[in-house]
Amino acid sequence: MTDDGRVAARRVDLTRVLVVEDSEEDAEAIERALTRTHPALRLEFTAHGDGLAERLLGCDEELPGMILLDLNMPGADGHKVLAALRARPELAGLTVVVFTSSTAPAEVDACYAAGADSYIYKPVNFDLFRTVLKGAVDYWQQAKGQPPAAPGSPRVK
Amino acid sequence: MVEPGTDVPARAGAPFDGWAAWLHRLWRVGTDAGDVTALASLVYEALLDDPGVTVVAGARWERGRSSYVRHRGRGDTEVTTLPGCDHTEGPCAPPPLDDGPTLLLIRPDDPEMLLPCPGGSALRDAGAAAVVRCVFELGDGDRAALWVGAGREPGAPWVARTGERLRQIADVLTVSNQRILESQEHERRQAMDAFLAEASLQLAGSLDVEETLRRVARMAVPAVAEGCMVHLADFRGTLSAVAVAHMASDAQVRLREVAEDDPWLAKELLRGAERRHGLVLTGEDLEGGPFGPGAPGPAVRAMSVSPLTARNRALGTLTFLYSRDSADADRPLLTDLAGRAALAIDTSTLYEQRRRHVEQLQRHLLPPGLPDCPGLALSAAYQVADDSLDVGGDFYDAVRVGDRLAVFIGDVCGRGAEAAAFTGLARHTLRTLLENGTSPAGALARLNGALIAQRASRFVTALVAVLTPRDDGTWRVRVANAGHPLPHVARAGGEVVAVPAQGMLLGVVRQAAYRSVSVTLGPGDALVLHTDGLAEARAADGSFFEDRLPEAVARCVDADGGGADGLIGEAARFRVSGDDDTAVVIVQVEGER
Repeated sequence: MTDDGRVAARRVDLTRVLVVEDSEEDAEAIERALTRTHPALRLEFTAHGDGLAERLLGCDEELPGMILLDLNMPGADGHKVLAALRARPELAGLTVVVFTSSTAPAEVDACYAAGADSYIYKPVNFDLFRTVLKGAVDYWQQAKGQPPAAPGSPRVK
Repeated sequence: MVEPGTDVPARAGAPFDGWAAWLHRLWRVGTDAGDVTALASLVYEALLDDPGVTVVAGARWERGRSSYVRHRGRGDTEVTTLPGCDHTEGPCAPPPLDDGPTLLLIRPDDPEMLLPCPGGSALRDAGAAAVVRCVFELGDGDRAALWVGAGREPGAPWVARTGERLRQIADVLTVSNQRILESQEHERRQAMDAFLAEASLQLAGSLDVEETLRRVARMAVPAVAEGCMVHLADFRGTLSAVAVAHMASDAQVRLREVAEDDPWLAKELLRGAERRHGLVLTGEDLEGGPFGPGAPGPAVRAMSVSPLTARNRALGTLTFLYSRDSADADRPLLTDLAGRAALAIDTSTLYEQRRRHVEQLQRHLLPPGLPDCPGLALSAAYQVADDSLDVGGDFYDAVRVGDRLAVFIGDVCGRGAEAAAFTGLARHTLRTLLENGTSPAGALARLNGALIAQRASRFVTALVAVLTPRDDGTWRVRVANAGHPLPHVARAGGEVVAVPAQGMLLGVVRQAAYRSVSVTLGPGDALVLHTDGLAEARAADGSFFEDRLPEAVARCVDADGGGADGLIGEAARFRVSGDDDTAVVIVQVEGER
């Protein structure tokens, strides 16, 4: 707690990314893509979002810097998980990136209204998949004051 | 991560053999490294293998600015990497380069002992008494340098040998860098092809223009850029924002405001809309606008505006905001994407227009309502086969003439505007004739003549029934048929019989003659007219609705059977194939069933 009684946001570790994804195939593709583009990231995976906020708060260590959140999961779906994460001020430092195959405007609006930091379409093609994931990670690492993960890696022309 | 491996002989005293093995290893790693970071740690390890070396440093410049500085001293366990700086003078500026790698021996008191400012005096701090520096080109004007420091004043052979090693490393790094650039470019192109394919599917698959554009804008971030806006022009050419997407939710809120009413943006959009390949704004082009330096929100490095033009019509603009560098390389992609989007927008706008026209036409072809006729209850229903654009060819109407009622139903073969023209002709001709008291057979003969005179290229079927009340409460029904499916009479007792009225199709034979047959309807009896879409509805097992038509007819005229709607509904539930339009008209004599 801070002096004025507000709950302080926990510190985050920008080199850690938590992937909340029930599809094994998608989790594997995310791992393959990010290992290639950001070898220094530490990836963690969970297949369900039930009680995620409590699980995160239960650990003493720093929080992961980013959560990649699937929307369609059995049990607590992405919307519920998002709401639960945003209900906890201690988790305010988490960057929540919704990563889903839907492009429905209503879905996007709902996620942004519920406090998602990004809403990223999950493409079918792997090259594109890797490109958008890299774009999301680079964007947020830069926005949160971290140099790009692979400094000096060749510039894409 | 590449760990310096066990296959590297690290025997002191045999540096030459050791170096050959290191170099071999470097080439191998260099041919499949995904980025140069993996290679860097190996380079530093290799150079520090020489016991005379106390410190190794490296730096890189992209477009004249240092992008990072690395160093590792003998006592360090790993390479320290620092982000570059924006300074362009002194040690921060890229060092000069002659043809090929250039070497320089630097003494401790030389100002060149300093690295670009993030690295500062790391060389001196690590105890270097002299440094050999090698500067080399990485392609595309990017430059890199490596420094190797010796703890004490080195002899000429050491300087020569170290210089040679640095040149060899520069070769590996240059080639590897080139390969990485090419493979990243290849991957980028693959990804953009895939993006176009997925976006095109989205564009082709939907008819709601604005929703489709919102979806495509969403797919484009961050595949193409971090922000995307689509503006469409109204009939006066005024642009308004229909889709806004940004990587970051807070940035999207702001982008929407800018998209809707920022005067600077409005001006640039108009400028971009007028150019065939649009425009790309970078650096100072962006100054003074909502994305210029110092503006709130994420930094924008470039903005592209592509005109949406289809069939020579300016439809609007497609705008991207890049947090990364220049959008120029993506120009072909932007032109391609804008072209596809414009075509899709134009097509669905035309489609929407045409669909409205068809709906209006369809309303004209069917009667706005059915007349009231004492003693009779009328119901009619019409179902269009699918949501395709074409106007159906079915028609029906009912006309009251004194105490009599004339009803008719018909079908023009085919769909579309031409069929609609004949549908209109047939309905209005029959209606006018019947209003004038023409008999069913006479009305069909006159319509046949009219169609032949019009050189109708389509067949028309029609069936006319005129109901005349009798004093005993029954109705006499005269039915004449021109090639139309037989009507049914559903008796109050539940029996259903077809009325055997036969006749030639209309519009085929000039002299075709029509004769009417008569039936009597008692209280509760019903006459059921339908078009062939009803009988031809087909179930999954291949059976036709025709086989169960009598039972269905009996059911629908029951008190709670739903009348014409009920009958069509039953056929619709039955149907898996057979997608003709269906019309049903039912006239039922009041009375107990």
